[in-house]
Amino acid sequence: MYGSASTHDLPTNAPTGLENEDPTLLAAFEARIARGEKIEPTDWMPALYRKQLTRMIEQHAHSEIIGSLPEGTWITRAPGFRRKMAQMAKVQDEVGHAQLLYSAAETLGKTREEMLVDLINGKSKYSNVFNYPTPTWADSNVISWLIDAGAIVNQMANAKGSYGPYCRALERICAEEAFHLKYGHDAVVHLATGTKIQREMMQAALNRWWPAIMTFFGPSDKMSVHTEILMRWKVKMATNDDCRNQFLDMYVPKIWEIGLTVPDEKLAKNDATGQWEFTEPDWEDFKRVINGGGPCNAERIAVRRAAEENGAWVRRALSASKTERKYVQPLA
Amino acid sequence: MITSHDPRMNRLGLPDAPATAAAKQALDQFETYEVFHQKKENAAYTYVGPVHAPEADVAFLFAKEQFSRRFACTGLWVVPTSAITVTAYVGDQESAYDTLPPVATGTGPEPADTTAADALAHATDEEDYDIFHLKKRGKAQAHVGKVRAVSPAEALQVASAVFGAMRPVVNVWAIRSADILRSDDEDRDIWASTPEKKYREAISYKVQDRIDRFKNEG
Repeated sequence: MYGSASTHDLPTNAPTGLENEDPTLLAAFEARIARGEKIEPTDWMPALYRKQLTRMIEQHAHSEIIGSLPEGTWITRAPGFRRKMAQMAKVQDEVGHAQLLYSAAETLGKTREEMLVDLINGKSKYSNVFNYPTPTWADSNVISWLIDAGAIVNQMANAKGSYGPYCRALERICAEEAFHLKYGHDAVVHLATGTKIQREMMQAALNRWWPAIMTFFGPSDKMSVHTEILMRWKVKMATNDDCRNQFLDMYVPKIWEIGLTVPDEKLAKNDATGQWEFTEPDWEDFKRVINGGGPCNAERIAVRRAAEENGAWVRRALSASKTERKYVQPLA
Repeated sequence: MITSHDPRMNRLGLPDAPATAAAKQALDQFETYEVFHQKKENAAYTYVGPVHAPEADVAFLFAKEQFSRRFACTGLWVVPTSAITVTAYVGDQESAYDTLPPVATGTGPEPADTTAADALAHATDEEDYDIFHLKKRGKAQAHVGKVRAVSPAEALQVASAVFGAMRPVVNVWAIRSADILRSDDEDRDIWASTPEKKYREAISYKVQDRIDRFKNEG
């Protein structure tokens, strides 16, 4: 799930640093991408490409590992044995996705140790939607279905990007997501077509999550110099607005067909433009939450940190007998 | 203290505003191993990605969990990343074998007498190497065969002679066969349980009947 990696890169006027790159190498790099060839870890690449991809893949990895927490909390209370098994399998997938993505980011030169500490210290971000709680089973189902659906829109786009290791990881991730989406849809349909109490619980959860879902793809892209370069380099494959519109196209009808309503009176598709119209999300609140002010930021980080710290002795014990140890960056 | 909807989180007694975490020591997350899997019997082993682990046996367990959990798998190999010799990556239409340094023939003084005994000594130093090719950037390295050589560099040279006609070859990996931890044929039942876990398959979730019923009742 959760590949909303580019969401947090707000438009910037920071220098690109391209004037410092070797023009011959840069031209060859751009020509390779233009030919449709992927970039592999040992290839020459501009510093901006390396930096932006590292940040994006790292944020994606953090989103997977933090994103497993709000659903993980429901494993023991999922209704019925089969749902417990499925919820557990899904959460395991998400943690597995984090492993794949951390490795892909490592091929760009940042160690896993650095990434994990940056997450715990709030220096690196993760998808903002996970700073909200899952007070009911229905909330967990909304994540399983609609947040995963949003993530798939992003990930399918990014899988066509230019960096080989990220593409390989995303290919496996997208294949695994197919189960998440169906599982989440099944769970939501079950409640939405159930008893009055079940329907109300599902509608209430959707009402709570809708504003966060609308921010999932990030603010409207301003076509900054960076956006233009990153799209040319196939780091960014679609604008935030395109992803959001595609998501609404695919899922609003599915929400409506099971008798749920979307808590936005303005939500409607403009058939002339093909674009959905909606109430602009509260981006000030988005910024406040992403900077630590959300209801669950502290809990998410604290739980991750506790896992790291409580597991430290196991890691030490496993390595204790080894004398010759040397880190080698993963190859691909 | 952090207060959560989840009573288990509350029982951890996590502090509200903890001090900044210190940098981790190098190798806190262990060394890296590269993993190859076999999708079905007799298929070529193909690269699937790395895992971090303190030793090969643990790497194998992690790899099994990570790469054979969801889809069919009939075999797994794990190798320390440090044991893999890698050529340059070339373009999708080229051959990475063309980037190998030229073989040093006739440049140095010829050995005084290449006796049968020397040849035999060389032969006993030889070991098997497994060779992997990447056919296209963004795809995965796949096993093409074995060669015998006394060093990784020589293994690449031998591979160039044996497999060099295959094109394209974007990148080549050579691994001393002894460095690969392989799943055992007699343990093949470890792969048997994956297809039993139907709740992990998208196809197990069929909601359309329920949706249709709901619409008709509505």
